[in-house]
Amino acid sequence: MTMDRHVEIADRLEAYVLGQLSSDERREIDAHLASCATCAHDVRDLNDVFAGIGESVPPIAPPPALRQRVVNAVAVTPQEPGRTVVMKSRRRPLWVRATWAAAAAIVLAVGVVAYRIDQSRQQLASDVAQLRTDNDGLQERLRQFSAQTDLALSILTAADMREIPLTGSDSYATAAARAYLSPTRGLLVVADRMPVPPPGRIYQVWVIENGTPASAGLLAEPSSGRGMLIATPPRLGAGGSVTVAVTDEPPGGLLAPSGSIRLAGSI
Amino acid sequence: MTRTPHLQAPANVAAAEADIDVVQRLAAGDRDAVAELYDRHAARVLGLAYRIVRNSSDAEDVVQEVFAQAWRTAPNYERTRGTVAGWLLMMARTRAIDRLRSRQARRDDGESNLEAMPAVVEPPSDRLIADEQAARVREALLALPVEQKTALELAYFEGLTQSEIAERLRTPLGTIKTRIRSALASLRRSVRP
Repeated sequence: MTMDRHVEIADRLEAYVLGQLSSDERREIDAHLASCATCAHDVRDLNDVFAGIGESVPPIAPPPALRQRVVNAVAVTPQEPGRTVVMKSRRRPLWVRATWAAAAAIVLAVGVVAYRIDQSRQQLASDVAQLRTDNDGLQERLRQFSAQTDLALSILTAADMREIPLTGSDSYATAAARAYLSPTRGLLVVADRMPVPPPGRIYQVWVIENGTPASAGLLAEPSSGRGMLIATPPRLGAGGSVTVAVTDEPPGGLLAPSGSIRLAGSI
Repeated sequence: MTRTPHLQAPANVAAAEADIDVVQRLAAGDRDAVAELYDRHAARVLGLAYRIVRNSSDAEDVVQEVFAQAWRTAPNYERTRGTVAGWLLMMARTRAIDRLRSRQARRDDGESNLEAMPAVVEPPSDRLIADEQAARVREALLALPVEQKTALELAYFEGLTQSEIAERLRTPLGTIKTRIRSALASLRRSVRP
């Protein structure tokens, strides 16, 4: 260690204590402190000065509930393994340290290590179980999504598919909505620029044949102004006129429409 | 190794030894010891966190994080680097400044987050001696020339680097370094007269 090098390190000790250095610089200074008593002493002094600045700020009585929050947070926080098994004491005589260290090292090493291994094992087991559940959920959603995409594609490409523009009045006049109806494959309804449904209401889609409405399902995601419904083929008679309509209904939908028709189109 | 002995009054030594004992129990895996550490230091940690973040909800979050971190890192606490109080306050300062910075990064509307200062408590009696040391530092801080005090406070309470301070105060970096170094030298003399 040259004198220049020492001066160069000493120049950065304030920044080191204030946590303003990169982790590489920190490691470099940590290494220097292990071998330089002068700098190690300066760091201790600086720590004491900064602690003094921190302690010179008036204390504030914490709200009573905060204590339990802290205890709860600690209850779910795992502990890091120590770099050293026994903490050094500068005050106890050597023989006390040696006896304590020998006994405590065995007790701590066995007890603490076993405890920590068990902690890690339990944490790992619970993490794995959580990941499996998450994965199952994602797989299921992916399967549903892919089945819906297949159905939508088969409706759009069906030979018997009819496109039905859906129109409305008032605030629904600006909505862009279409139904694609294939009697053999199913019904696809897409809507954009839909007004937000009245409070406590959702949009429900109906297929009306000869004046008899049958629910095709709910229009998903109407709150963003966009909606989509993919449904299996509605039961249709031979020939008659068919109307696709969107009404607002209470959450969950009804078996027969009760609300106003917001959008409709016929073939 | 030449280490000048640290001159501490007996009551301060007793409080510091009791702190070490609590941290050793934490390090041995005793989670309950955290409540004791909290009772001894939470008011100071909250005071410092609030002084930095100026928002009681963020300051309380910092307190929670600091004691969880104390539990997590207790096995690696090195008493040769400073007192337990200093260790906790350093963690509080780091976390509070992180919060301050992420909030400043998020806040573009210039809305003020200042709140009324909460009630200040009387410190517990077993900390009176340590408080004498804090009082000496406070006096020494007040006695600093104003430009030294400003530079040091920007570094400590706002977490600015020396270059950032130089930029903020439109002052050459070398001057800022000198001011901070002189300020720290004065404070060191107040801690170790």
